[in-house]
Amino acid sequence: MSLERPRERQLDIGETVDGDVDYDALAELLGDRVVDREEHVNAPAFVVRPDEIQDALFALRDEAGFDYLSCVTAQEYDDRYESIYHLKKYDDPTQELGVVVPTAKDAPISQTAEPVYRTADWHEREAYDLVGINYEGHPDLRRILLPETWQGHPLGQDYNAEKPQVVPFRKHANPLQPDQRGEGDNSDTMFLNIGPHHPATHGVLHVKAVLDGEQIADVEPDIGYLHRCEEQMCQQGTYRHQIMPYPDRWDYVSAGILNEWAYARAAEDLANIEVPEYAQVIRTMSAELCRICSHMLALGTFALDVFGDFTAVFQYAFRDREVVQDILEDLTGQRLMFNYLRLGGVAWDLPEPREEFFEKSRDFLDGLPKKLKEYHNLITSNEIFQARCVNTGILPPEVAKQYGATGPVARGSGVDIDLRRDDPYGYYDELDWDVVTEDGCDNYGRVLVRMQEVEESAKIIEQCLDLLEEWPEDDRTIQSNVPRTLKPEPDTEIYRGVEAAKGELGIYIRADGTDKPARFKIRSPCFCNLHTLREMTQGEYIPDLIASLGSLDIVLGEVDR
Amino acid sequence: MTQTLPETIGELLGWGTELSFGQDVVASLIGAALVGTLMLTMTAIAGPWAKRKITAAFTDRIAVNRVGPFGLLIIVADAVRLLSKELIVPEGVDRPAWDLAPIVLAGSALLGFAVIPMGSGIHLADPEVGLVYVFAIASVASVGLVMAGYASNNKYSMLGGLRAVAQNLAYEIPLVLIAASVVLFAGSLQMSEIVAAQQGTLLAVGGLSIPAWYAFVNPFAFVLFLVANLMEVGRNPFDIPEAPTEIVAGYQTEYSSVYFVLIYLGEFLHIFLGAAIITTVFLGGPAGPVLPGILWFLIKIWAIFLFTQWARSALPRLRIDQLIEVGWKGMLVLAFANLILTAVIVGVIA
Repeated sequence: MSLERPRERQLDIGETVDGDVDYDALAELLGDRVVDREEHVNAPAFVVRPDEIQDALFALRDEAGFDYLSCVTAQEYDDRYESIYHLKKYDDPTQELGVVVPTAKDAPISQTAEPVYRTADWHEREAYDLVGINYEGHPDLRRILLPETWQGHPLGQDYNAEKPQVVPFRKHANPLQPDQRGEGDNSDTMFLNIGPHHPATHGVLHVKAVLDGEQIADVEPDIGYLHRCEEQMCQQGTYRHQIMPYPDRWDYVSAGILNEWAYARAAEDLANIEVPEYAQVIRTMSAELCRICSHMLALGTFALDVFGDFTAVFQYAFRDREVVQDILEDLTGQRLMFNYLRLGGVAWDLPEPREEFFEKSRDFLDGLPKKLKEYHNLITSNEIFQARCVNTGILPPEVAKQYGATGPVARGSGVDIDLRRDDPYGYYDELDWDVVTEDGCDNYGRVLVRMQEVEESAKIIEQCLDLLEEWPEDDRTIQSNVPRTLKPEPDTEIYRGVEAAKGELGIYIRADGTDKPARFKIRSPCFCNLHTLREMTQGEYIPDLIASLGSLDIVLGEVDR
Repeated sequence: MTQTLPETIGELLGWGTELSFGQDVVASLIGAALVGTLMLTMTAIAGPWAKRKITAAFTDRIAVNRVGPFGLLIIVADAVRLLSKELIVPEGVDRPAWDLAPIVLAGSALLGFAVIPMGSGIHLADPEVGLVYVFAIASVASVGLVMAGYASNNKYSMLGGLRAVAQNLAYEIPLVLIAASVVLFAGSLQMSEIVAAQQGTLLAVGGLSIPAWYAFVNPFAFVLFLVANLMEVGRNPFDIPEAPTEIVAGYQTEYSSVYFVLIYLGEFLHIFLGAAIITTVFLGGPAGPVLPGILWFLIKIWAIFLFTQWARSALPRLRIDQLIEVGWKGMLVLAFANLILTAVIVGVIA
């Protein structure tokens, strides 16, 4: 079946023949750097001293093959701070490992992991910003989500949310600062603020660009304008009902069900909840509908960035996306904030009459190939479009891995990772579909990946429709029995990801025995993908910067959370 | 030679065919007012409405349809809205240049219409160097763009202004060279002569006779000229000085209210002036069966306007360096090839 991945490479240290991880061998590799061992629900974790973390991570990356730092979670306990590095492998994301770094309460200083994984740069800045852990040796330890003048660290224990943030306006850096001319050879550069309000930023993103003529000498995305304390809000909601509406609001452009699934998967694994097969099929189908919606939007807005106006392509993409939105509305009752998944299943069955729903969905799928052909005619085979996109915004696979890129951004760079296949959940491993990769590593490759993924999603939906149509009527259980109040065992921890529209959307949950999570951490794919922007645009032109930004397909609601 | 509009006006006023200087000035002013009103009505009133409707048709929408029949009264609403807005003058703008730029932009395009023969006797002036004059005047707009970009004290405007200069250099030479090939055919720079030279019949296939318009005589030059003209008027795929998604609105970022209206008007006038030049030089001017000349003239320039809107809806924008490449390495070479080829053909035949 297409889901099997050919395995040709040599086994890493600590890897068994059947693709599992031998944690004892890993412990041996790290030697006495490992102080203790913890069991998390997803994978065991090694406790490492804060001044040896770089050595440990270098060994794990270079010798044990953990080349993917998925997420960094920081949290404060009563007696210590803790950073958890969630490691995976791009070749097999089911081989996981946590590296726990406890730091003292009075002096939370930990060695940075940035030299090992570039993606740790932003993750550690976020940990510093929200929790207050200092990373020694970090190249640029500033706040990332909150304003630089913020007082206190909101997810720390002694943070007083009632205390007003009294900061005089002049303390903020002036965004209209005069030309920041460089020294010596760089004295010809011009500093340009692109955003926070700019036609091409797709939300509220501020890109600080240094230009040399029209060419980009340096860019730095400045994020956080849309930070809405999503993690904090989830920590204040009960597992059973109060958290599920929030994921819709992360990646808020039509990827709702994909996000909900991230929470559902993490919480179900944490609390050991079974999901009926029928519900899994519905989940798979609705998630793929969302993916089509999301990719259509990505395509339309990317065309908008490259074409430069609200042109035909943008409108066509929205016209076709509208059909999917109608189907999703029939199914969930909502167009944007679906809130359709429940722990243990979905909210309700397919709408009656079922035949009508099937017919509508099939009509859409039947018309799709023709529409995609139209897009290929209009966009990908257009010579000007190719001139603009081929070989611009280059992201080599090695760099993509260093930055923890996932989703179409990674697959457009030839990195073959897709959690639907590599770490199967839902009904994906029962269906016949392919993972799309392109070796272009450029803006064009990323667009092609998205367009082909729409086709793959259509394949999945079609198979799901067949299954649902023939499902025996007495076996249509949409939810399993889930206790009204969920209280997972104290001190269970889990990190689980799903393949959302933009890449791996991971959730870390630590339970403390109550009905609310003690720590809820969101690993946003857009956050990591956006970090690559600087690598992609170095030395290119402003239009390429805009195109690259569009091809990353970021949603600021998810970047800033 | 046909009569120009001031001469006709002079006759109507009973001044005879030989006008004194004073009479000439008065008659010319009346004529200019007539032509100017015609063009402004078309560009300022019909233009934006038609642009909305055309773009909507291309992009699967309906566009304005609420205010008045077919949404036509939206023009009035828009005019009131735009004119009643506050004119925001940003800090640190270079005052005389910033104020002059919109006027230069709109004015230069309007001046170009002076030498365009529009048929039915509407032809304001017919100097012997008409073609040179119209190109010279159309290029003045670039000065306006640079003024606007430089004087706005805005980095996006500055980038837009600089892009406009680079783009201007890249298209202007091919544009003039292609026009020169037509001059070789017509043997004159005078607009009326160029139109007159296209009156004959090129071929007659069955009952259908194809006129000797230069678009049919030399389709290669016609296509080249269409592309160069798109660059000249700065529409997609060559709307680089504005580039809404990249540099916000380029040179016009800081303009609001009446100045914005003037710049917008200038752009529309430029599209129509470009269309008028193409019509005159390649499409036989006002020539056409049955209908009066002025109607044919309008039909032709609207057809070219439609073409620019089509390009706008369907084509991606080039990058500035790619445009320079297209201009200097592509268009210029082709334009020279066309010129030499034409010279050889004309030399051999004539």
